[in-house]
Amino acid sequence: MTGVNASQRNYRVILPENALARWLEWLGGFYTLTGPVGGGVAARFTEISKFEQMDLDYQSTMLPPGKKYLFEPVEEVLSFDVSEGVFSSGPYPPGRKRALIGVHPCDVNAILYLDMVFLSGPYADPFYRARRENTFIIALNCKSVTGLCFCHLVGAGPYLKAVSGYDILLTEIGEEEGAERRGGKNRKFMVELVSEKARELCDVFPFSMGEQPEEKDFEKMSRMEAALLKSFRKNLDMEGVQSALLSRPDHHALKETADSRCLSCSNCVMVCPTCFCHDVMDKTDVSLSRSRRVRRWDACQDISFAQVHGGNFRAQRHARLRQFVYHKLDYEEQFGRKGTVGCGRCIRWCPTGIDLTEIARAMME
Amino acid sequence: MGARRPRAGFFKFTCCSGCGFELAYFQRCLEETLAAFDFAFFRLASSSGTPEGPFDLSLVEGAVTEPFQIIELKKIRQRSKVLYAIGSCAITGGIPAIKALAPEAQVEGAAYKERLYGLASTRPHVINDYVQVDGFIRGCPPGERDLFEALSSALMGKDPEFTEYSVCMECKMADNKCVLVEEGLPCMGPVTNAGCGALCPAHHRACYGCFGLMGQANIHALKGRFRELGHFSEEDIENRFFTLFGALGKTERK
Ligand code: SF4
Ligand code: SF4
Ligand code: SF4
Ligand code: SF4
Repeated sequence: MTGVNASQRNYRVILPENALARWLEWLGGFYTLTGPVGGGVAARFTEISKFEQMDLDYQSTMLPPGKKYLFEPVEEVLSFDVSEGVFSSGPYPPGRKRALIGVHPCDVNAILYLDMVFLSGPYADPFYRARRENTFIIALNCKSVTGLCFCHLVGAGPYLKAVSGYDILLTEIGEEEGAERRGGKNRKFMVELVSEKARELCDVFPFSMGEQPEEKDFEKMSRMEAALLKSFRKNLDMEGVQSALLSRPDHHALKETADSRCLSCSNCVMVCPTCFCHDVMDKTDVSLSRSRRVRRWDACQDISFAQVHGGNFRAQRHARLRQFVYHKLDYEEQFGRKGTVGCGRCIRWCPTGIDLTEIARAMME
Repeated sequence: MGARRPRAGFFKFTCCSGCGFELAYFQRCLEETLAAFDFAFFRLASSSGTPEGPFDLSLVEGAVTEPFQIIELKKIRQRSKVLYAIGSCAITGGIPAIKALAPEAQVEGAAYKERLYGLASTRPHVINDYVQVDGFIRGCPPGERDLFEALSSALMGKDPEFTEYSVCMECKMADNKCVLVEEGLPCMGPVTNAGCGALCPAHHRACYGCFGLMGQANIHALKGRFRELGHFSEEDIENRFFTLFGALGKTERK
């Protein structure tokens, strides 16, 4: 094994899983380790204390890691007590630093999308920013594709192309020969140190335990990626979709799907990693002296979402469903890219399996 | 504050008194609530007090199942500035409405050994069948959130913002296992009004709809989903929607 220094070879190294595990447990001294627990398509990002609790073969989680931990479901943004003259906004920045481990490419791209929502423009969100700055993101390229994934259509996966906005990128590239590990083979990971923070944290250890990658390793990664790209089952003409949607807002496919299957339950929005809508409400004590202002996730499928003075501009179910489908596949003007990262969650967690790509396909015919 | 405390009344019709208990045990804020309101009538808390108004705020629990209740309810309405229906019995018919599934005389026969010919029991009705209601504090019993919203809004003189979305939203925000999608249980969460904090799914149970249907509940779509689960008869599915908490709700709420 040839030891390499992090400053060499573009900050890439091949590490055996047990070394990675040791390094992560060391990292746990500074960061709350959070990773996918329970495998398959219904894993959950959860705080862990041991590397073995995670299943890095997981395919998808229900709640996206970025949304769950950076844009929290419910949070207090402000509170005051008139009787004591106390006014406070916070609690930010949140105390503990968090490491999100094994974040798939679609979910990293979704975090980059949330960054545009919450951090760009003159009014950056201080709560989101505090958590974002305190979060160390260890991305993991996918090694399998589910039947609902379509990240390849929007460039959000299955391998991560973004070059910043996260810290480390892992790719499983094989198994160590001869070495048996508790519970199976000792896998090997290509570890790329993307951020300055990662380079500092990894400078000596665990790099000294790794091997310098060779050309054949990069070739192997390209072959794995190409094979993955062939295994996608979903397809949609992403070039044509925008004009089709724009020109046919009253298409019967929307109305029929909404009427026959949509429950307006908002599961689709809740699990979507790029849905950012939220509601803000005050909770004032019956003593009328203390008040808390709380923000929570909101959803355009709710009947009251578009209720404003004078009426509800999306009172009909299909108008609400249209909002979701269009915001994901059409409104590129908003952030210069499509709202979807192709993770397939809205389809998987919709109780009736409504599929935005199927609606779009029907609208393009 | 100096200002006069608002006069409040709590009235009960046919029900288990659970909503009254919920208020009497109003966990975090019972003391403040009793200090903020002048509870001029609340039988569960005090046997004194008078139902004569006027009331700034009235909460009415229970379904209407006897003619004298109609007269009382109308009087309460007249004497109240703001009247909220509280709990599923008052709002959807709740448990007492189960008797709507059989002819009244048959229900009486099953409930009492001898026929009580003097009993003027009627089919169950929700209270807004008889009087105009200013808002609904849903649940069986209600969750703290909407009860709190009703009381604090009354004190501030604003319209309360009651929950108007599905149980699924609360379920997802808690990152619960989805018992419908992951386990194939006939969960009513997608069409049920939130407010409970997704209590049943959090305990691995399918929601049975005790908060009542939410607005525009797409019943036939969820029935279709239950059919696809493959292990429920048409009767099972029908009962899921129209027995325990939906006996009166055979039509979609508007
Ligand atoms: S799809 Fe709906 S909930 Fe999601 S971001 Fe767009 S408007 Fe908001
Ligand atoms: S719209 Fe659906 S597929 Fe696209 S990112 Fe959201 S949940 Fe994933
Ligand atoms: S999850 Fe499905 S049924 Fe529920 S609102 Fe979304 S599309 Fe409609
Ligand atoms: S468990 Fe029930 S309430 Fe929860 S998300 Fe699934 S269907 Fe909705």
